[in-house]
Amino acid sequence: MGRIVLENVTKSFGDAQVIPPLDLTIEDGEFAVFVGPSGCGKSTLLRLIAGLEETTSGRIVIDDNDATQVPPSKRGLAMVFQSYALYPHMSVRKNIAFPLRMAKMDQAAIDTKVEAAAKILNLADYLEQKPGQLSGGQRQRVAIGRAIVREPAAFLFDEPLSNLDAALRVGMRLEISELHNRLNTTMIYVTHDQVEAMTMADKIVVLRAGNIEQVGSPLDLYHTPRNIFVAGFIGSPKMNIIDGPEAEKQGATSIGFRPEHTDVSTTEGMWKGRVGVAEHLGSDTFIHVHDTGLADMITVRITGDIAVTHGDDIYLTPQMDKLHKFDADGLRMA
Amino acid sequence: MSNRTLPRLLQTPAVIMLLIWMLIPLSLTLYFSFIRYVLNNLRRPEWTTPSFSNWRGFGNYEFVLNSKDFLFAIQNSLLIVGSILFLTVILGVLIAVMINKAFPGQGIVRVLLISPFFVMPAVNAVLWVNMILDPVLGLQGLAVAGINDLIGSLQSAPGVGWFFSLWPEVKPISFRATQTSAYAVIIMVTWQWTPFAVLIFMTSLQSEDQQQKEAAVLDGAGTFSQFRFLTLPHLGRPIAIVVMIQAIFHLSLYAEIEIVSRGNGNKNLPYLIGEFANNNIGAASATGIFAVILANIVAIFLLRMIGKTLME
Repeated sequence: MGRIVLENVTKSFGDAQVIPPLDLTIEDGEFAVFVGPSGCGKSTLLRLIAGLEETTSGRIVIDDNDATQVPPSKRGLAMVFQSYALYPHMSVRKNIAFPLRMAKMDQAAIDTKVEAAAKILNLADYLEQKPGQLSGGQRQRVAIGRAIVREPAAFLFDEPLSNLDAALRVGMRLEISELHNRLNTTMIYVTHDQVEAMTMADKIVVLRAGNIEQVGSPLDLYHTPRNIFVAGFIGSPKMNIIDGPEAEKQGATSIGFRPEHTDVSTTEGMWKGRVGVAEHLGSDTFIHVHDTGLADMITVRITGDIAVTHGDDIYLTPQMDKLHKFDADGLRMA
Repeated sequence: MSNRTLPRLLQTPAVIMLLIWMLIPLSLTLYFSFIRYVLNNLRRPEWTTPSFSNWRGFGNYEFVLNSKDFLFAIQNSLLIVGSILFLTVILGVLIAVMINKAFPGQGIVRVLLISPFFVMPAVNAVLWVNMILDPVLGLQGLAVAGINDLIGSLQSAPGVGWFFSLWPEVKPISFRATQTSAYAVIIMVTWQWTPFAVLIFMTSLQSEDQQQKEAAVLDGAGTFSQFRFLTLPHLGRPIAIVVMIQAIFHLSLYAEIEIVSRGNGNKNLPYLIGEFANNNIGAASATGIFAVILANIVAIFLLRMIGKTLME
């Protein structure tokens, strides 16, 4: 079990309120991702759930029990830190066994559990080594192993992949998703990387300045962002946002269209512009278009290739059925 | 000319200087330890100049080994060094952990804690032995007199007087003449060197990884377990450093011993060397060689011990 409910939770450091009153429900077995730019309070929120920070007001309910005043070790949650936070002088075996040892479990049971966790995480060959002798990905797995053996109600991940190189990050992303499918335990994952959020989450929580901007499944957020902030944050490359007369023509203060929802032509179209940088990835081409009179730069994505070079004229037409309209407050118009 | 010759050539003067610095005193000590060499001898004036014709072989070493104070001095050296190390490391760790937390007046407390280290050893000894440990005039004398006065007045109190009459009169301890003078030295040097340990441990504690501690909290480790499994291993290396440096310094304690009791009932090897050096340079040199050997044994022993217990 691992249903986590936040009711009116706030957090202040001195006079500064970093989390204004906030409500959130994470269902049992769900993979929830907190995503937002740095300083948006997503890590603080995770630490509030873990109990590493005291809640200023409001309630944190874990499995129908009020856990607001429960000490971190009694909440039944396990956390994986950005720096892994392995104990440097202990072997991998002792690192993984540490929470069990603290729980005064008998040695035979500890050994069984550690061996089982090591097997799941492919660490069996490294059990006697010290963390300093392991690579980044292996350290990450040890940290996860230390969390798994406790059989927690929920796993908390605090930007666990940001210290890994790009290739390893993709691999670990898959491993964590795989782990979630196998264990079926609630996982809360904090990241600033929207790609991680999109690929792993059942439910994404987009945060800005401590406020929840939108909660939903990855595709919900992609197709129907609630406001301009979410629209700009989810999706890569970023959605193009245009204000002014072109938006008014559509009856909105701002309109947004995604780079992949734009038709491109060298002969005719709605807006004319000049090609800046064209990024050819083979499967796709990203073209940065300038001098449209709409925004500094508009990015479009086309599948395959198109014969344009720097300085060429180009015509853009957004796909009207996939146009996002926003009102003066930046909120989505129905 | 190989490309290593020039760097070596350029290093040579410094290396030669260092060798001279080290080798000349050591070889002179070795040389003097094998000859008869005294500062003043009316019957054998030729012994007052060092020369190979006064060769004595291992005679000086035999003389030192057979002198009544030698074994006592070694035993006392180890007692003093061992006790000081034990006390400073334990006190140092406890105080460092205590003041590592933020509290009002932290800055002042830290400066006050460090200040004993800036007192000169001789001044330290004079202050302690005269103003604090003196059985009559020092703080100890005053405290003992005060306690005795208190007990005296309680003895004449109605009702409970009979109970306090069973109490003996408290006697002050003299730290000057007997074996207790070694304890005086241990107390004052511990007072002086604990700040050094605190300083080293404090800097090390500040580099302790806070996320590790948070991870340990989530893993269910209490305050003591965090100290035992995270802080203490983290302090392993600084403890080794403190122990090594202090062992080197305290094996050569001299001023405190001189001032507390002038060596009465309390000698260590350096003090014995000093006594021999009043006249018998040969014997003093032989004792010096023994001191070098002792220092090496202590160093190796300590390193092994710390390495095993703390670094795993």
